[in-house]
Amino acid sequence: MAPPTVTRSRKNLWITLLFALAVLIPSLYGFSGKFIEFVAVFRGESDGQFAITPIVNYLLATLGFFCLFGWAIMHGMFSDIERPKQVFLEQQEWLDQQLLAAQTAPSAHRNSAP
Amino acid sequence: MMDATARPEIDRPEELVETRLVTWFFLAALGYLFVSMLGGILVALQLVHWNPLQGLELLSPGRWRMIHTNAVAYGFIANGLLGACHWVVPRLTLKPVFSKALSYLIFAAWQIVVLSTAGGILLGEAQALEWGETPVWIDPVAQLGLLLVAINFLTPIIKSKGPMYVTLWYFTAAFVWTFLTYAMGNFIPEYFVSGTSAGAIGGLFIHDLVGLFVTPLGWGSMYFFVPILLRKPIWSHGLSLVGFWGLAFFYPLQGIHHFLYTPIPMFLQYGAVVSTIAVEMVVLTVVVNFFGTLKGVGREVITNLPIRWFYLGMIFYALTCFQCALQVTLTFQALIHFSDWVVGHAHLVMFGVFSMWIMGIMTYLFPRIWGVPWHSRRLSEWHFWFSGVGIFVMACDLIMAGVFQGFWWGALLPWEESVEGSMPFWMLRVFAGLGMFAGQIFFAMNLYLTWKDSQAAKAKAALPA
Ligand code: HEM
Repeated sequence: MAPPTVTRSRKNLWITLLFALAVLIPSLYGFSGKFIEFVAVFRGESDGQFAITPIVNYLLATLGFFCLFGWAIMHGMFSDIERPKQVFLEQQEWLDQQLLAAQTAPSAHRNSAP
Repeated sequence: MMDATARPEIDRPEELVETRLVTWFFLAALGYLFVSMLGGILVALQLVHWNPLQGLELLSPGRWRMIHTNAVAYGFIANGLLGACHWVVPRLTLKPVFSKALSYLIFAAWQIVVLSTAGGILLGEAQALEWGETPVWIDPVAQLGLLLVAINFLTPIIKSKGPMYVTLWYFTAAFVWTFLTYAMGNFIPEYFVSGTSAGAIGGLFIHDLVGLFVTPLGWGSMYFFVPILLRKPIWSHGLSLVGFWGLAFFYPLQGIHHFLYTPIPMFLQYGAVVSTIAVEMVVLTVVVNFFGTLKGVGREVITNLPIRWFYLGMIFYALTCFQCALQVTLTFQALIHFSDWVVGHAHLVMFGVFSMWIMGIMTYLFPRIWGVPWHSRRLSEWHFWFSGVGIFVMACDLIMAGVFQGFWWGALLPWEESVEGSMPFWMLRVFAGLGMFAGQIFFAMNLYLTWKDSQAAKAKAALPA
């Protein structure tokens, strides 16, 4: 597999960034709005008391993902962001070769019963 | 995921994937699909006054509607995706699942959960929660089953090293989310909160079930199978991760968009609207990525049957998300709420998208596992075309019916008039459903014939040379 050219990966990077911003801006807008309302609920606005359960649910789930995201960055999961897609295909090809070799080897037994 | 340069030695690569179990999951899934479709046909016949089983209480449409939806979600889609996971996770991590014995236990336990749910519903024990009709006494078993699923698949994922491929991100999240979503939906409204708050949780539950259980397993599988079948990597791995993290952060907020115009406070409803718009962007990244991958190999969509299933599903996915963009506006909701538009949307998502992907996966894996090609390409083609055209007709029909119903109700016409007006649409639905059902019968026939071929091939191979 040929490695991607520099221009191609720069194009990919720009498109990725563009989409990331398109997702982040409206979402952060929505989220901060919600958060302000949430604070208002705590200050005693009567019509919002029962909003607490869904919002706490959401905050907990997001907190978990935020930690995971931080962990992933710290462990270099995104340092060479395009590499896993190449490794994945090479690995599958290699595995199929191993399987073929195992099948043709005399001692191999095939596990293909329905 | 391991680095390409450091491949571990696998002693018995053929034992990495428990192929027999994959087959069992798929066959169970297909069994439930048949039952569910028969249920759907029964309910559809009832709506046009042709129900042949009128008067039989156990088979009354109210019960069968729930059997229809539960058998599809927990019987067909869950079994189908669990089968796919048993193929994908060991191959991606190069490690077997935590325990194969546990896998068999999960298989058995899951069938018990689905069958007891059906039994419970027939006996009138359904829990009062949409998509969570599973009787309350089965909930703890199902919850335990989901915990075991998470342990079984997360163990090899956690053990693998190096940057993870996008499929593993989706799968990891799905195993955790599904467990939490099930707990939230089935226990919180039942035991802890009530009234509108329980309604809001119910909204999160139904939406998260689709978005945080089926969607990540579905897209994760697509990121696995499509590059393998096209023999080229996904267009941009970075973009695929934007899709994943976008889903992770913004999807959980959306559920309340099912309850626009309800007593849930408007700021929560608006929040759901805004996060839905964000998720529309996320969806766009995923669709762009897959169609970008097709560049230079577009012909595969015509010649390669699993790829055709996958991409048709993706086109339907884009269509359903476009529908969502309309549905999420309050103006449009006023028109289509409670109408058949929603039923059309539900079929398009569940059959047009996720079932198409599962069918594509089965079309690819059954011959691989049995070691013989499909017995009949023609039957495979019929399976595809009857399913594809059937769902397209059904969805268009119901979506149009929904718009008409919305206008009739908006004009304050008597209810009976809207029922009379809906009749032609409901009749067409019966025929579209029968077409989809015929497609599955062709699949079952082909499956049986292919299995016979595999038995014959095995017998031949066993003969002394
Ligand atoms: C033989 C073909 C089918 C027929 C005739 C059929 C018919 C129906 C009918 C009559 C309903 C009830 C609608 C109402 O309450 O007004 C329904 C609901 C539903 N069906 Fe089907 N169905 C079929 C196949 C499927 C398949 C294959 C799936 C999923 C893979 C599916 C998913 C659903 C869902 C999710 C609902 C609930 C919709 C909602 O609550 O909005 N159906 N179906």
